[in-house]
Amino acid sequence: MTPADITEAGDPLSAAALEARGLGKRYGRGWALRDCSFRLPAGRICGLVGPNGAGKSTLLGLAARLVAPTEGELRVFGVPVDDPAAMPRYAFLSQDKPLFKRFTVAETLRMGAELNPGWDMAAAERIVRAGPVPMDARVGTLSGGQRTRVAFALAFGKRPDLLLLDEPMADLDPVARDEMSSLLLSEAVERGTTVVMSSHMLAELEDMCDFLLVIADGRLRMAGDTDELVPAHALVTGLAPDGKPPADLSPHTVVEFRVSGRQFRALLRPHGPLAPDWEVSEPSLEEVLLAHLRSPGTEPLFTRAARIEAEGINAA
Amino acid sequence: MSTTVQTDGPRTGKSAKRPGLLHGVTWLVARQHRTALWLIGAATLLGAAMIVYQRGEMVSMLDRLGWPGKDVRLPSDPEGFQYMSGVLGGLPVILGVFLGAPLIAGDQEQGTAQLVTTQSVPRRRWLAAKLIGCLSVVLVSTAVLGALFTWWWEPYREALPAEWLQGEVFDSTGPMPTALSLFLTTCGIAIGMLLRRVVPAMMVTFLFSMAVELAWSEVRGRLATPRLFTYPLNADSPAFLDQAVESDRWIGTADGQLFGWGTCAEQTERATNACIKEHGIVNNVIEYFGYDQMPGMQWTGAGLLLGGTAVVAVFILWWATRRPL
Repeated sequence: MTPADITEAGDPLSAAALEARGLGKRYGRGWALRDCSFRLPAGRICGLVGPNGAGKSTLLGLAARLVAPTEGELRVFGVPVDDPAAMPRYAFLSQDKPLFKRFTVAETLRMGAELNPGWDMAAAERIVRAGPVPMDARVGTLSGGQRTRVAFALAFGKRPDLLLLDEPMADLDPVARDEMSSLLLSEAVERGTTVVMSSHMLAELEDMCDFLLVIADGRLRMAGDTDELVPAHALVTGLAPDGKPPADLSPHTVVEFRVSGRQFRALLRPHGPLAPDWEVSEPSLEEVLLAHLRSPGTEPLFTRAARIEAEGINAA
Repeated sequence: MSTTVQTDGPRTGKSAKRPGLLHGVTWLVARQHRTALWLIGAATLLGAAMIVYQRGEMVSMLDRLGWPGKDVRLPSDPEGFQYMSGVLGGLPVILGVFLGAPLIAGDQEQGTAQLVTTQSVPRRRWLAAKLIGCLSVVLVSTAVLGALFTWWWEPYREALPAEWLQGEVFDSTGPMPTALSLFLTTCGIAIGMLLRRVVPAMMVTFLFSMAVELAWSEVRGRLATPRLFTYPLNADSPAFLDQAVESDRWIGTADGQLFGWGTCAEQTERATNACIKEHGIVNNVIEYFGYDQMPGMQWTGAGLLLGGTAVVAVFILWWATRRPL
């Protein structure tokens, strides 16, 4: 049906870093996340996008065992997330990056060594020393950037196969941010670590991510490879004399439709040929994401790599 | 992009045996609570030293008074004795509020619970290490102080006016300080875990401890059945009753009928005698706890509290296994 169907996406049998089926979490009366089913193939750098309160942190918390699901299941590399065997496989970093403030940096790394069977002290020390962060300094006396570096060292020293990042760089200045991004990318690429990171910086996501999960209102709106999701959309400009969507638009999925004067501009997922009198261009990732975040009601779009089974998803 | 899903073989940097005695979660718990550990250790030593010193003071005072040769009965407990029994009585509450309540709530509030539970160790193992560490410290510290206080009071109990069933003696000697402390500390830990905030947890633990202390003062007198002893109305009470704690007293007739102690308390002796004659009263009847019942009562009470401690500790681990902190 969608262009994504035709493309050769990843082999569905290859290992999935994350696999959710009907995942949901309810707080009190409201659902923070609902009917969430997707597959994240291993080795991807995945951006998690959505407005505040959309359920991004809930999804990451579910993956890090910090939140218990109300319904559904989540697997990390095929292991149910509530099985302790899944614990060495992932590392989690949240925005506030909690550390023991009275520990020295060396003691913080020793904690990593004591609590993780596959600890890589050499890698952790390398990340800290590149800071440069003094090993005998108390964590409470470090600057925000230095503390983030220690938290990253703790996360990478665990040698995770999956790195879960909940806006870890939101409180950093631009220099520290740039430093951490390149550290993250180089470490992840070198080891083939799968990364899931939530962020509000769309430009940052465009540079770093090759996979996307878009969440709004507690539901998954879009999931898949960046280079398949973007071409699945077209940005068209045409005449709308009466200010209403022209009839030619109806075969396509219209994500966003805006009128200015006699002209309309629409972001759509084409199904079949587009009207010849329209001006068609390929949108940027940022335009696609913004359009979806502004119109959360659009029918969800999943590329093949993100699907767990064809029927289960499209019905969502 | 390469996909390294399974990292097999030895991971580099996996160090050989690290120095030190403690490893894993035990090391973490000891390191995190190092300051509290030193404080409790120092306070225990200070308390022990004070008991030894104050006991010495009291012994030399009793020597000067000629005890035990002379029958000395101090008009009131020595100040140091009152002070130390007050400290020992307050210790369970202090430990519950300042050690128990923040133990898990502190990590929840600071976010370090999130840090530790996203390493490779299951929550339950970490919490078990915390519980065992914390309760062992409480056990050792209160057992030392309780034993020393018993060593102070027990040999000199006949010279001291405090009755053994009073809270200041009963709850400060033998197994009682330990049992009360373990129970209230564990309850504080559970309250902290459920409230997830340090200050509210400390306040609720304090109120809870007050309620427990209040209930405990009711329970104390029910830990054993009091005995009855009957002796003639005009006779002196027998010597063995000196160490007993009287819980009630009646006057009774020859056939066992009992009247309240004040039944015949009349204005004049004549009226009193008439009343006694009229009711046919010939005996004093006394209900008392013998001193030999004290260890049994203390261990029964300690057993109840330790049972409660075990139930709450199991609840904490069960809760943490079932759901994230």
